[in-house]
Amino acid sequence: MLAHTLFFYFFSTITVFSAIMVIVTRNTVYSVFFLILVFISVSVLFIMIGAEFLGMIMLIVYVGAVAVLFLFVVMMLNVVEQITQKPKRSGIINNMSVGSIVGAIIFLELLVVIGGWKYKGTFLPLSFTSTNSDLTNTHALGNILYTDYIHLFQISGMILLIAMIGAITLTFSKRENVKRQKYFDQIQREKSSGVSLVDVESGKGVTFDE
Amino acid sequence: MQTIIYILPELFLSLTIMFLLMAGVFIKKSFKLVNLCTIASLAFAIVLVLNQADEITKIFNDSYIIDRLSIYMKILTLLFCIFVLLSSKDYLKINKIDKMEYPIIVLASTLGMIIMISSYDLIVFYLGLELQSLCLYILASFKRNEDRSTEAGLKYFVLSALASGLLLYGCSLIYGFTGSTNFEIISNKLDPSNTGAVFGIVFIIVGLAFKISAVPFHMWTPDVYEGSPTSVTSFFALVPKIAALTVFIRFMYVPFVNVFNQWQTIVIFISIASMILGAVAAIGQNNIKRLMAYSSIGHMGYALAGLATGTNSGIQSTIIYLIIYLVMNLGAFGCIFMMKRENTFFENINDLSGLSKNHPILSLSFLIILFSLAGIPPLAGFFAKFYIFMSVIESGMYTLAIIGLVTTVVSAFYYLRIIKIIYFDKPKKPFEQSYDWGLKVSMILSSILILIYFMYPSILIDIVSSVVIY
Repeated sequence: MLAHTLFFYFFSTITVFSAIMVIVTRNTVYSVFFLILVFISVSVLFIMIGAEFLGMIMLIVYVGAVAVLFLFVVMMLNVVEQITQKPKRSGIINNMSVGSIVGAIIFLELLVVIGGWKYKGTFLPLSFTSTNSDLTNTHALGNILYTDYIHLFQISGMILLIAMIGAITLTFSKRENVKRQKYFDQIQREKSSGVSLVDVESGKGVTFDE
Repeated sequence: MQTIIYILPELFLSLTIMFLLMAGVFIKKSFKLVNLCTIASLAFAIVLVLNQADEITKIFNDSYIIDRLSIYMKILTLLFCIFVLLSSKDYLKINKIDKMEYPIIVLASTLGMIIMISSYDLIVFYLGLELQSLCLYILASFKRNEDRSTEAGLKYFVLSALASGLLLYGCSLIYGFTGSTNFEIISNKLDPSNTGAVFGIVFIIVGLAFKISAVPFHMWTPDVYEGSPTSVTSFFALVPKIAALTVFIRFMYVPFVNVFNQWQTIVIFISIASMILGAVAAIGQNNIKRLMAYSSIGHMGYALAGLATGTNSGIQSTIIYLIIYLVMNLGAFGCIFMMKRENTFFENINDLSGLSKNHPILSLSFLIILFSLAGIPPLAGFFAKFYIFMSVIESGMYTLAIIGLVTTVVSAFYYLRIIKIIYFDKPKKPFEQSYDWGLKVSMILSSILILIYFMYPSILIDIVSSVVIY
């Protein structure tokens, strides 16, 4: 139990630290890397509470796809320009009033949510639900996703297919005068069609009619 | 395995989408082929839907329902999807947007609508809705090298995403306060004292009203209708309305039936506001697509008036109104597709001036369709409004009926103005006469249906009267 607590504090410290670093660093590329660190440590926290599916999905989707996408976007922007700009102290003071109001509202809302928890209705405790502790998360999800909700799963697949078709139709344009690879033609090419032996007379060059 | 029989149409459509996608990629210049296959598969899907059992069946843990309402609405969706594809073929070719993805995306959006129509659970409903809206965003901006089309797509995307967010918020409130996403369980758990859930209903109505473009969530309609290619506009005006209105009916009368008094006021307000805006705002329009947008807002107002009555006859009159609205709009968009000269399509009302001198048949069907849209007897549009007002008066909502009648008269003005321009203004250069057969068929069919409806009104009434929600 002690090891669990130690790990929890270790990873949550990293999470909080890197979450702060995301907004504090001036270099946007570093900022994205810290964001990746946040995702990874959050996914470790998920795994630690037994939600290994959520943790892995967090890794695959957020780190593997979303963060990489962010990184690409950031790299396409002109980062150098932003670094060389002098930090403006006045910005903090100007935005202080609005920022503190928003912060205070969020703090109050959190207070209401946590305070309201004391007056919550009666819920069933977790021990009342019939969970099979032998099953992993992935297994349990798969059990209902491929049986009770198979039709929904398939319809979602259709939606993704249509999204792909739509993205291709709306953006793909066949350009003229672009040499494309023709795999079969290229592989099938033989020596006889590509190379020709020419007797070069001395004193004259060789001209090709192509 | 038993349940697969009940979702055969959906399965068939999804397999067709994937198959056609592969075929379209490997065969060069495959628009014609894919379009034809799409129409054929939609027709086959109608057969599959017709083949479904007549009794109420709930599958997938009661999250998917097959009943009379869903079967009828699915057939309507598929049928009008076929007509839209048939009539817009020439338009796509001339505007150089005849890519093979177009029919496939239309097919996918039809699949989404069919899922929506059959949904009996908040999650299934939401996924169906997203599937169809995603396709509609793509379709709206399909003519991607034209500014107005991309603008329409982006506008629709942003606003629709907002509406979806509100809808989802409503769904989560309902789930939180009733403990289930299933319509039947929600219906049992919901009562007027459950304030949180009633709050959620408001958000769901907002989302649904956005989808059928009812006031005050109509802002996107004129811009999107005007900006997107006409073929897409005709799709927008016809097919998604069926699914959205069906879901509206099902939401109001299955999960929310116990809080009828709470939502009735909201629906009456939306209905009155839509009728008034549809009548007044269309007067100053010069673009015929914009005019159709306002006209569809107004018509949705009348359809909602039937829904607000809370009686079975009210729902049936809403469904009849929807069917006649679809037939009329199919014809109207057929006429718009015919306003073509030297490979450019015209959208202004003034371009129609003196049409009767050069194109007597086209102007005659325009006349029939516009008179019917205005609700002039003995055309079908009159009967549609008549049934609505009958059931509204039966349930004693006289204010709604009076406002509806007044707005009908006001809206007749702008329909009649077009007729005046067609018949009494100076003729311009004639339009081209070479029409696609699909366009001709859908236009002639809709004009004839509108014209002869009064002889056999019982056919439609008999079919619809078997739809009983509760």
